[in-house]
Amino acid sequence: MVAQFLGLKLRLLANLFRRSPWQVVGLAVGLLYGLGVALAIVAILITLRFSDDVASIRSGMIVAGSLVVLGFLLVPLALGVDDSMDPRRFSLFAIPTDRLALGLALSSLVGVPAIVLTLVLLGTIVTWSRGVGVTLLAIVAAALLLGTCMLCSRVTTALAAFLLSTRRAREFSGVIGILLLVMISPVVVLLLNVDWSRYGQGLLSVLAGILGWTPFGAAWSVPADAAVGSWGSALVKLLIAAATLYLLWLAWCRLVALMLVTPGREANVKQYGVGLGWFDRMPRTPLGSIAARSITYWGRDSRYWVSLLMIPVVPVLVSVPLAVAGVPGPVIALLPLPIMCLFLGWTLHNDVAFDNTAIWLHIVSGTSGWADRIGRLVPALVCGIVLIGLGSAISVSFFGDWVALPSMLGVSTCLLLAGLGFSSYTSARFPYPATKPGDSPFAQPQASDTASALIQSCSFAGSFLLSLPAIACALMGLLVDPHWHLLALITGVGVGVLAVVGGVWLGARTFEARGPEMLSSALRA
Amino acid sequence: MTSVLPPPEPDEPRAGRGEPHEGSAASAVGTFESPYATTDATAESIADAPPLEVPVKASPATATPAKAPSGKASPAKAPSAKATPAKATQPPANSAPPAKSAPPAKSAAPAKTAAKAKTPAKKRAPRTKAKAGAAAKRPAPKLGPVVLTVSGLVKSFGQNTAVSGVDLEVRSGSFFGIVGPNGAGKTTTLSMITGLLRPDAGSIHVNGIDVWARPLEAKRIIGVLPDRLRLFDRLTGAQLLHYSGILRGLDGDTVAKRSADLAAAFGLEDALGRLVADYSAGMTKKIALACAMIHSPRILVLDEPFESVDPVSAVNVTDILQKYVASGGTVVLSSHGMDLIQRVCDHVAIIVQGKVLASGTVDEVRGEKSLEERFVELAGGRKVTEGMEWLHSFSD
Repeated sequence: MVAQFLGLKLRLLANLFRRSPWQVVGLAVGLLYGLGVALAIVAILITLRFSDDVASIRSGMIVAGSLVVLGFLLVPLALGVDDSMDPRRFSLFAIPTDRLALGLALSSLVGVPAIVLTLVLLGTIVTWSRGVGVTLLAIVAAALLLGTCMLCSRVTTALAAFLLSTRRAREFSGVIGILLLVMISPVVVLLLNVDWSRYGQGLLSVLAGILGWTPFGAAWSVPADAAVGSWGSALVKLLIAAATLYLLWLAWCRLVALMLVTPGREANVKQYGVGLGWFDRMPRTPLGSIAARSITYWGRDSRYWVSLLMIPVVPVLVSVPLAVAGVPGPVIALLPLPIMCLFLGWTLHNDVAFDNTAIWLHIVSGTSGWADRIGRLVPALVCGIVLIGLGSAISVSFFGDWVALPSMLGVSTCLLLAGLGFSSYTSARFPYPATKPGDSPFAQPQASDTASALIQSCSFAGSFLLSLPAIACALMGLLVDPHWHLLALITGVGVGVLAVVGGVWLGARTFEARGPEMLSSALRA
Repeated sequence: MTSVLPPPEPDEPRAGRGEPHEGSAASAVGTFESPYATTDATAESIADAPPLEVPVKASPATATPAKAPSGKASPAKAPSAKATPAKATQPPANSAPPAKSAPPAKSAAPAKTAAKAKTPAKKRAPRTKAKAGAAAKRPAPKLGPVVLTVSGLVKSFGQNTAVSGVDLEVRSGSFFGIVGPNGAGKTTTLSMITGLLRPDAGSIHVNGIDVWARPLEAKRIIGVLPDRLRLFDRLTGAQLLHYSGILRGLDGDTVAKRSADLAAAFGLEDALGRLVADYSAGMTKKIALACAMIHSPRILVLDEPFESVDPVSAVNVTDILQKYVASGGTVVLSSHGMDLIQRVCDHVAIIVQGKVLASGTVDEVRGEKSLEERFVELAGGRKVTEGMEWLHSFSD
């Protein structure tokens, strides 16, 4: 039975390579990267064997190791991984529960994370090979850790599949994942800037002291404690680690038993009332209805939330390192708004693919290309106008010189409108596979090709290139002569309006001519 | 090509066909009786029929005498002098195959026909009468002008030819079923008719409008229910109906009124406030069907409309569609359910491997067998399964 599960998992892994050549290349690069990181860590661990600063190694390893265990626990929950070895897939085979649980748990050892982890754990054994007793303890601890990490990920993957089985929950999990990312990124940046050489040592040893007694760090500190000579605490921590593994095993068995007899959860259906929502507030024309539909989707579909949430994240990610690098605050204040406008305009570049095959309705009703193109732009335009209005005032007030306001308005408007213009055309002409409606926003589309990356970068770079004149004028205004600011506004708005009109015109023609092709590309996705 | 005779108002033939149900049913069977054999050759000759219309239609009189023997089967025929001109619209297209392909067979046909025609006529009669009691305006097959012409339709995906030369002719006021095994090309054909899939070759005319040359005009008169395509399911049922109506160019008030009517007719009133994503499969089908009808199209093209719809709703939907057909609308639907096609449709085409193997009224396609038997026969016959004996001794 176990052999069959391992064989199945191997087969699943091998089938990853039976896709389009470019996906295989991507996969191979990813694997090599993971392997490279693993080998680098192993090399570090081996060199640590020859270091005599055992206390520092102990602290570092406990903290890092706890993070690893935490990662195995949380990553499946945050990302809602699609689980090919979900116990429920075996529920019809009449396999005894304990054998199924064992088989599935062991099969998780076949996989990239498990291999990387095993390599790293072998490295720790080398690090702690400082005497027979310590080495033996290190081997036992490594085995316990491997089991703990694998069971952690199994348990939380199962929980994620179990709890997130409804559409709504799946969507929310993705949004929560994004929010976590948003919150973590400044923390990471801050951590990177702590003067580790001065405070690091003390902080680490305090953290290691606490974490060593928790299930996350206990196993990591068993050989470390033994190496520094405190055999008593090493044995107690070994007990903690073993108990952790045992409890996880019990939880896993119970979970498998429970999942086998529980079908997917039923969603609580929300009533929206018979009112038409945005459709009531928009003109009752095709254009108005398409706009209302777009706005409704921006509000209800988590895939749009994720792309919208990314818009404020990117400027944060850009400006924090700049601030750290010592770029003066007023200059940084000028950056976020144009970046956000660039991304907002770019958000729609694959809008048709987001509809998936539902686009048939537009095709069979002979919807005019203008109505479709402009209707889809409405929510982005409304957001953009508010954003530019408020944002430029805020940015310029931080910058401290109101002379720059016209430049700010011009450059932001140009980036937004040029982005929308490019999006209007590319979404009709080059739709590429997007996440399907109802999937987790992190779920990768099953089919993706190199074309998608090309379209993404072209539409992104295109709107930037079109804005270069406005940006150049703005720079001249800042550096040479404030009179240039007005020119920046004129150029920016002019180029932006031209770009959006041209893009919509071209997009409308394409949309009307290529209806069946858009549908078949959605069907292939 | 569109209309064989000066285009009669959809209402005109109906008025003429008021009383003689049996007569028209029987004579239809009689005239249409043609050597539909299992071979492809005959199937193709049927497909070739439309071009031949011209010479034949010039003399409806010659067609009528040929009908005479079969007409005997129905005593009710005599008084219906009024009905004859209306019926004259039928023979041309359909009587062509016998005239062209099998003159020798024709002499034998009448006798056979007379015998054969009795059975279906009798079988049909009670039902028609029952319906006639409620709504006197539903005679069995009533044929207006040709509303959908498909000729030489070809579509291949790479190496795989999904549709190879499909010809269909659907007259207004008919309930046309397309049946075929899985992967026969039904959905592909319907997608090309509705403008969702570009054909490799061939032409499609709806009401005389080339679907692929003048798509906007054609799309206005087609209502579409595709199979396995998503809906904008983040909208509530009410929003989706509204959206479909407005996209079809209706004004807000009309959409509101029709939405209410459709919701009531399909039993969706309670579901209008919920997201379509939360609907069951059957409800999704029903809301999609409602969306297909909201602009009162001249022809409804429905791909598997009854799949996963519960029996009660299926009866309601059938009723709605039959009333629509009775008032001159045309329904083209595909289905796996032979029973349903036999019960609901008056015309049927059997598509196998991208070719039309048989087409005509249900009665003439099925002959003396049930439609299911005829279908299985055309689609390659029943597979004799051997070596499954182990299934009959259970494992525990």
